[in-house]
Amino acid sequence: MPEPIIVGISGGVDSSVTALILKKQGFEVECVFMKNWEGESDQCTSEEDYKDALAVCNSIDIPIRSTNFSNEYWETVFRNFIDEYSKGRTPNPDVLCNKEVKFKAFLNYATDIGGAKIATGHYARIEQHNDAFRLLKGADPSKDQSYFLYLLDQKMLSKSLFPIGGISKKEVRKIAKESGLLNYAKKDSTGICFIGEQRFFKDFLKKYIPTNPGVIKSIDGETCGEHDGLMYYTMGQRKGLGIGGGYGDNTAAWFVTEKDFDNNILIVAQGGDHPSLYHQNLSADSLHWISGEPPKNQEKLSAKIRYRQNDQDCQVISIDEDRCTVKFSSPQFAITPGQSIVFYDGETCLGGAIINDRS
Amino acid sequence: MLYFDHAATTPVHPKVIKKMDEVSKLDYGNPSSIYSSGRAAKSIIEQARNEIAKMIDAKPSEIYFTGSGTESNNIVIWSLLHQQNKHVITSAIEHPAVLKVLDELSIFGISYDILPVDSTGLVNPADLESAIRKDTALISIMYVNNEVGTIQNIEDLIGVAQSHSILFHSDCVQAVGKLPISTKSIDADYMSFSAHKFYGPKGIGFLYKKSGAHLKPLIIGGGQESNVRAGTENISGIAGLGIAAQLVNTNLNNRIEHLSELENYFKNSLIEHSPEIIFHGNSTKHVPGLCSIALPNHNNEIILAKLDRKGIEISNGSACSSGTVGISPILNAMGVDDKINQSTIRVSFGRGNTIEDVSLLIGALSEFSHA
Repeated sequence: MPEPIIVGISGGVDSSVTALILKKQGFEVECVFMKNWEGESDQCTSEEDYKDALAVCNSIDIPIRSTNFSNEYWETVFRNFIDEYSKGRTPNPDVLCNKEVKFKAFLNYATDIGGAKIATGHYARIEQHNDAFRLLKGADPSKDQSYFLYLLDQKMLSKSLFPIGGISKKEVRKIAKESGLLNYAKKDSTGICFIGEQRFFKDFLKKYIPTNPGVIKSIDGETCGEHDGLMYYTMGQRKGLGIGGGYGDNTAAWFVTEKDFDNNILIVAQGGDHPSLYHQNLSADSLHWISGEPPKNQEKLSAKIRYRQNDQDCQVISIDEDRCTVKFSSPQFAITPGQSIVFYDGETCLGGAIINDRS
Repeated sequence: MLYFDHAATTPVHPKVIKKMDEVSKLDYGNPSSIYSSGRAAKSIIEQARNEIAKMIDAKPSEIYFTGSGTESNNIVIWSLLHQQNKHVITSAIEHPAVLKVLDELSIFGISYDILPVDSTGLVNPADLESAIRKDTALISIMYVNNEVGTIQNIEDLIGVAQSHSILFHSDCVQAVGKLPISTKSIDADYMSFSAHKFYGPKGIGFLYKKSGAHLKPLIIGGGQESNVRAGTENISGIAGLGIAAQLVNTNLNNRIEHLSELENYFKNSLIEHSPEIIFHGNSTKHVPGLCSIALPNHNNEIILAKLDRKGIEISNGSACSSGTVGISPILNAMGVDDKINQSTIRVSFGRGNTIEDVSLLIGALSEFSHA
């Protein structure tokens, strides 16, 4: 029996079509459903998702098994998530989940059970040149997920397949529908997987981190409201500040522009074009290059400082071990500590780092 | 396919299928109806009840049909809500069909204590004695454990309960067909059973209630099953259960012998191949054919997946609803460390297994014999 491709299946349409495509291509395919979060919370849809995954696998005749990486997830992803929020930063758990769970724990599991490679439903592509593997953006620009995969390394890429990376989401849904997969119209998952919808966010965080209320001040030093704790806010945030626009003659909306941790003050500015919201330089750490080496040309790169941002021209000014400084060609809105800066050379995702500070 | 997970469920016996098929086709009458087809259905139920009573050496009037072993447990525990005293004593190795029920019912005033077990899975009667309170209303301790096969010193535990006039319930789901059961020697007030653990169909179980023991129904309606469990009877399921019980009555000794033979062969060959293997449970007080073994340095999820790919079905004993496996709370209660816990698999043989099957299993497991 040939060594199978082990597909990480979530019950969603992307990973289902991933399995289907591989099967149609003639691979031996097996699916694994990962349970990464233990909890009785209503938001946790794990059992429903498993049922969908099971139904898909039955309908395309692929074996499916389950595994539980909730320990790994808790230790590597969730602890960091809480740690970062308690420091008032805005982490991106999906980036770490890919590195530590999907492309480490799951990959090891798949290898242990005798799988040749793993496959996931990510919108990204892998290109091999001799022994080198490059990560490319997904062909559907509106769904490209390379941003979340920048912490992958050569070994991980060499053992992975992204079968839907070359097609559009629309196409994926079409394939699913034509093949009779019951989840062809299933809603895309959004938000942080273990919290669910954004509206649960505050209550969730409250369970793990003590709140520390304080005042909101404008950039000019005038008190204009109260906050529930700096961790609940992120740079550039507009909604949920509880201050109306009617401050002075200016009726423009308020935006979070700074967190003063020493004095527990949230600093806001009025108007989305307020200069205090824009910075041209940033410093970052935990720098990682997918190829294992920094790119030769560091002057003409582009980068995203958040998912779903258009690529911004930039240059890497300096690299010191795993730290780097970056200068953008134009000022960037709300550079956010804890988020990742991900570097690109055209279609190629080069790697990235975690933003520390901006200036 | 090689199936070695009979503690999870058993394939339905062909004679059971035949009977259920006949009953489904012909006996559509409602047993509560007074005309002929109703009476015929009623008599099928009573025949089954007689076979079951014979199987556990009880009176037919002490047998009540339910939907499952789980439901039988639930009826007994929920019934406490009608009593003044609501304290329960149970053990650390019970099925969730007892432990979770107690936990859920704590909002209605049920309190409970969980007795520890020793490294072989046995409850110490002295621990039970000292856990008894003035308001203890029920002691619920399983007869045979589903993961490790340990047979509890149930007579001693019942003796303690009786000396304090406390009701005793035992989840006996894993015991049937693996050892003789008699309510004359096991003088419990309530015992729970499930058909699908002994080649009967799923969705049908029964509760033994000693004559005179107090019990309130959980499902209320048309008064079926002497007001213990309302709802039009699952005639074909009951008929199938009756045949499964009849087969136990005629074949028990053969089955025990067969299971013992398979188990001995399995254990001996396994020790020969992999001396590092650890057997969990009690070496003497143990049902035949159920082996809980640790293959040190191998993760049970990997073992299960690899065997599954070869068409060999075993378990680790504690699958949950989304199909994942995890740390077994039962082994944990027996003091097994987490690493060994996650290296543990459960093999449970059944009437369809042969020595050849077992030797194929040994061959497949040999891959995991060395660290």
